[in-house]
Amino acid sequence: MEYSNPKIPEGINTTDEHPLKEFFILSVGVLGLIFIAVFILSLTAEKLAVYVPFETEQGLIPEMWTQIEPEIESLTSKQTREFMQSLSGRLAVHMQLPEGMEITVHYIEDDIVNAFATIGGHIFIHQGLLDELHSENALSMVIAHEMAHIYHRHPIIAMGRGVVVGLILSAVTGASGDQFVGQVVNETGMIVLLNFNRDQERDADITALNAVNGLYHHVAGTNDLFKALMQAHDPDEVEPPTFLSTHPLTQERIDDLKKYAQKKGWDTNTDLTPIPKFLR
Amino acid sequence: METYLNIIIFFVLLALGYFVGQSREKGHYRSIIKREAQLRSIPVIASKILPDEFLPCQTELVSGSVVISVDYFKKFVAGLRSIVGGRIASYESLIDRARREAILRMKQEAKKLNADYIFNIKMETSSISKGREDSIGSVEILAYGTAVVIEKTNTPANELPGEDTTELNFRPA
Repeated sequence: MEYSNPKIPEGINTTDEHPLKEFFILSVGVLGLIFIAVFILSLTAEKLAVYVPFETEQGLIPEMWTQIEPEIESLTSKQTREFMQSLSGRLAVHMQLPEGMEITVHYIEDDIVNAFATIGGHIFIHQGLLDELHSENALSMVIAHEMAHIYHRHPIIAMGRGVVVGLILSAVTGASGDQFVGQVVNETGMIVLLNFNRDQERDADITALNAVNGLYHHVAGTNDLFKALMQAHDPDEVEPPTFLSTHPLTQERIDDLKKYAQKKGWDTNTDLTPIPKFLR
Repeated sequence: METYLNIIIFFVLLALGYFVGQSREKGHYRSIIKREAQLRSIPVIASKILPDEFLPCQTELVSGSVVISVDYFKKFVAGLRSIVGGRIASYESLIDRARREAILRMKQEAKKLNADYIFNIKMETSSISKGREDSIGSVEILAYGTAVVIEKTNTPANELPGEDTTELNFRPA
């Protein structure tokens, strides 16, 4: 009986093909398809997001997150918040918000110069921003601007875009494709600093200006905030997100608003309504 | 910002996995082929039946085991494959190397015993990771068999002195 283990040629149980070839074919094929699908989705996301009912938006936020105010609110805090809430109510009349669209104004007592709108009709305004406002008109413009974002459903659209971008990223980094949409949504977070694009900012500006004019019958003081912030803003300074970084501001925007007001024939030069003392 | 960092880390890991992994694999194959040539003199046989001509002999259990891990590049390509299906060539080379390495280690044990053959070889996978979702992804192979040391007292008289009895195609009398 003869036994032997002769040399067996390579390449039977393995392949001679270069591993990078398989890598590129699979990457381009599979990931390429994922990219295309997600890209198409992101285009339609903006169109589709508006069909999410406002009640659903509100339901997306867990109960406890809407209670961001501390349980024991100081008197000035409460006054500030209620004043801003009533201001938003007065502006809402002139903005023709749809039925069921509630605006809730939150006041955050810190130095950050920012205000933002997020899903479910929640607006957050920081004391830092209030310090930059010198008239009720300027404050109304800020509140109206954020309300306008909600009116136009910008938060849910931006969130839809964010979810889709999150999907792209998780497809790249977690190539096995087991990610569930729920996980992605959780990761992107519910109450986030939603960045609106320039077209959205422009639409919000126009709507806000209309509402402010409806309330006061003039638009004096609405540009004051922007001008003050532009002068104050030092691009080299590393700061927490300011109003300017979340609402990219250019001279162009100020000019657009001026032109719009002129076109409408609105008064831009009247006495401003002073701001209540407790807001400073 | 964090997402850009994640993407960069991903590509770095991929490149590391590819370059280091491929170079280690080539090195391993060279070593395997060299040692297979050296240990060719101890045939391994899957049959359990020891021919009568081999008796009397001493037998001993020998085994060789090996654990080889995948690298990030292989895992990524296999992940893409798991979407479309088909042969995962990146893992196939891993199994091939592991199998041959395990057999070589078994042969090395046998060589220490001055064995002539290894009969009844079997191979098994001993799983360390047990297929958990986030496991490292490694191949663990055990090869074992019966090393046969043929007692030289029964070499036939007509064998020339000095003849190397551990040659290929050893024919017992």
